[in-house]
Amino acid sequence: MIPLEDLLIYSGLLFAVGVFGVLTRRNFILLLVSIEIIMNAAILNFIAFAAYSPSTTSLGGVTGQGIAVILIGLAATEVAVGLAIVVALNRIIGSVNVSKAMELKL
Amino acid sequence: MFLGLTGTSFKNGGGIFAVIGEGLALAFGVFVAIEEVLAPGPYHDRSFVWLALPDGTNFVMGILVSPLGALMLIVVNVVGFLVVLYSLEYMEKEEGLARYYAELMLFLTAMNALILADNYLEFIIFWELVGLCSYLLIGFFWKKPEAASAARKAFLVTRVGDIMLFVGVFIFFTSFATATAGGGVNISPYPGAVCPSHPITWSCSGFVFAPPNADSSQPFLSSSVLTGANSTLMTLGGIMILGGAAGKSAQFPLHTWLPDAMEGPTTVSALIHAATMVAAGVFLLAITSIYIGFTVDAAMVILAIGGFTSLFAGTMGLVSRDIKRVIAYSTISQLGYMTMAVGAASLVVLGPGGAMFQLFTHAFFKALLFLAAGAVIHSVGSQDLFTMGGLSKAMPVTAYTMLIGALALSGIPPFSGFFSKDAVLSLTWSAVQKYPMMFPFFLLALAAVFLTALYIFRLWFLCFGGDKSRATGDQHVHEPSWIMQAPLVILAALSVVVGFLPLFGGFSGLLPGAASWGVFGFTVTGGHIAFSSAPDLYLSLGSLALALSGITVAYFFWGNGKVFGLPENSPLKAGQTVLVRKYYFDDAYDGLAHGVVLGLARAFDWFDRYVIDGTIHGFERVFAAASTKARQAQTGLVSSYASWIILGIVLIVAFFLYGVPHLSSLWGGG
Repeated sequence: MIPLEDLLIYSGLLFAVGVFGVLTRRNFILLLVSIEIIMNAAILNFIAFAAYSPSTTSLGGVTGQGIAVILIGLAATEVAVGLAIVVALNRIIGSVNVSKAMELKL
Repeated sequence: MFLGLTGTSFKNGGGIFAVIGEGLALAFGVFVAIEEVLAPGPYHDRSFVWLALPDGTNFVMGILVSPLGALMLIVVNVVGFLVVLYSLEYMEKEEGLARYYAELMLFLTAMNALILADNYLEFIIFWELVGLCSYLLIGFFWKKPEAASAARKAFLVTRVGDIMLFVGVFIFFTSFATATAGGGVNISPYPGAVCPSHPITWSCSGFVFAPPNADSSQPFLSSSVLTGANSTLMTLGGIMILGGAAGKSAQFPLHTWLPDAMEGPTTVSALIHAATMVAAGVFLLAITSIYIGFTVDAAMVILAIGGFTSLFAGTMGLVSRDIKRVIAYSTISQLGYMTMAVGAASLVVLGPGGAMFQLFTHAFFKALLFLAAGAVIHSVGSQDLFTMGGLSKAMPVTAYTMLIGALALSGIPPFSGFFSKDAVLSLTWSAVQKYPMMFPFFLLALAAVFLTALYIFRLWFLCFGGDKSRATGDQHVHEPSWIMQAPLVILAALSVVVGFLPLFGGFSGLLPGAASWGVFGFTVTGGHIAFSSAPDLYLSLGSLALALSGITVAYFFWGNGKVFGLPENSPLKAGQTVLVRKYYFDDAYDGLAHGVVLGLARAFDWFDRYVIDGTIHGFERVFAAASTKARQAQTGLVSSYASWIILGIVLIVAFFLYGVPHLSSLWGGG
C-alpha cells in the first residue's frame, strides 16, 4: 500500500486547492464548489486513517468509514443551506458576483 | 498682644472704624512696649504648628516680642494712628474710600505681625503681604495710568529684592542644620543648642529671633561662629538678606520705585513709604545682625550701599520739582543712613541700636513732613514746588510744624534728628577706625548731611518763604481743619522730644547696643555724664556745621521768595540733566527689560511654537497617515476577509504545533 503520509499529503493538497478556490472565486456557486472540495479533503483524511488501521473490522476501521458516510451527508446539508443563501443574496444584489456584496465595507 | 494684631483687622466701611481700630492697636502697642521696657528680655510664645512635613520638620508660627520689636510697634502704631486720623479729612473727597481704609488696615495688620514674627518664614509671609498692600495703595488711583504703572514698578522692583531675601534665608536655613544624637535635625547656629520640643522647627533655637541664652544682654552671636570654613556662604547669605532689605527700603540699585510711588495718596506715602514699610528693610537687617549676624565682608557691603545711597538719593532730591518726590528722595537717603549704621554696628560688634534709633526718630519727622506736604497740596491743589511760595502767612501751623520737621531732618539740635544722626555718624566713624578702607563712605555720609539740609530747606523756602505766591490761577489757600492739624502738631512735638528718650535707661533697653546716649563727645550712661572721646566732639560739631551751612546756602539761593534756576548756558546744566533723569537709571532698567526680558520671552515663544507645537503636529501627521493606511484593510470584499481569517488560523495552529513545545522547553517545563 502507498504510505499513509502520501495520502495525507494528497488530502492536504486538495484542501489547499479548496482554500485557494474560496479565496479567489468571484462566483458564489464556484465558492460553494470550493467549500465542497475542502469538505471532501477532510473526509479523505478520515478514510485514509480508517484504511490504515490494524484491521478493517476493528473499531478504528469501521469508525472511520462510518464518519465518512455521515460527513458526506453533512456536506450535502451544508450545500443546501449555502444554495439557499446564494438565492437570497441574488435577490438582494441581483447577481452571483461576490465582489458586488460590499455591505461590510466601512 | 493678639488683640494688638486683631485690632487692626481687615475693616470695611468708613474711616471712623479705622481710627478706633488703630487707636486700640496703638494702645496695645504702647502697652507692650512699656512692658518690654520694664521687664526687658524677649517674650516668646510659640503658638501653633502650621505645617508638619513627614520627615519631622515642623513649620511653626509664633509671636516674639523682642526689644527691637517693641520699638517698632511704637513707631508703626503711633504713625499709623496719626495717619489714619489725618486721612479722615484729607481723603474725604475721594471715591473708593472703603477700599482705601481696608487696604490701610490690612497693611497695619501685616506690619504689626511682621514685627511680632517669631521666625523667618512667618516674617517673609508678612513681608510679602506688606508689599502687596503697598502695591494696592500706590495704585489707589488706578484710573491714572502713571499710578498703575508706578504700583507695578514698586511691586516688581521689590520682588527682585524678595527673591534675594528668599535665597538668603534659604542659605541660612540649610547651613545651620546640624544632626543631633536623637536622629532629628537641629536648625541652630549654636553647636550643641537643642530645640526644646520638636526635632526640626523653623523657629527652632537660633534660627528664630530669640537669643540662645537666657542672658539677653548678650543677644548676638559671637563673631567666631561667622568666621571659618563657612564664611563665604555666610557672607553670601548676608548680602542676599541685604538685597531683600534694599528692595524694600529702596537702596541702590533697587531704589527706583520709591519716587514713583508718590503717585499714591500722601497719607499712604507718609505711612508706608516714610515710616513703616521702608523701615521693615532696616528692621530685617537689624534682626539678622542680632540673631544670625553678618560677616565682616557682608557688613562692609551693607555699610557701603547705605553710605552711597544716602548721597546718591540726596543729589536727585536737589533738582526735583515735585514736593513729594523731594521728600521721597530724602527717605531713601535717610534709609541709607540706617543701613549704613547697621553695617557699621556689625563691624564694631555692637548691636543695631544706632540704626534703630535713627529709624525711630526718622519715622516721626518724615511722617510729619509728608503730612504737612499733604496739607499744602490739599490747599494749593498742585504738587509743583515752583507754583508755591509765601504760604507761611496763610498756613502758619503747617509752615512751622514743617519747619520743625525740616530742622529735625537736617540734624539741628535740640531736635531728635540731631541725636540719631550723631549716633549713626559716630558708629560709622568707629567702624572706619577699625577698617580704614571704609573711609570714603564716611565722607559720602558727611556730604549727605550737607545735601540733606540743602534740599529740605530748598523745599521749605520755595514753599513757604517770601511774601507772595507764584501760583498760577487762583487757589483757596487755608489751613486745614484740626483733624489734619492735630497729627502735624503731635508729630512735631514728638520730633522734638524723642531725641532725649534714650536718657531713660529703660528706653535704651529697647535699643540694643546703644546703651549710652551721647553727643558732642559726652555720653550719658545710667545717669552719669562722661566725656568719652574728642573725635566724637569734633564729629558732632562738624556735622552741625555742615547742616547749618546747608541751610545757609539754601537760604542764599531760595530764601525769601527767590527762585534759583541755572542759566541756560551754564556748564552745570548737563549735570542737572543727569540728576533730573535720575542718573538714567529708569532708562537703564527699561532697556534691560526690553532687551533681556523681552528677548528671552521671544526665544521661549519661538521654542514653544516651533519645537513643542511642532512635535505635536508631527505626531498628528504620523497618526493620520497610519490610519489612512490601516483603513485600506476594510475592503468590504468577503474574499479578503476570508483570507485574513485563514491566515489567522494558520498562525494559531503553527503556534500550538511548534511554538508551545519550544517555549516550554525554554522555560524548563515550568
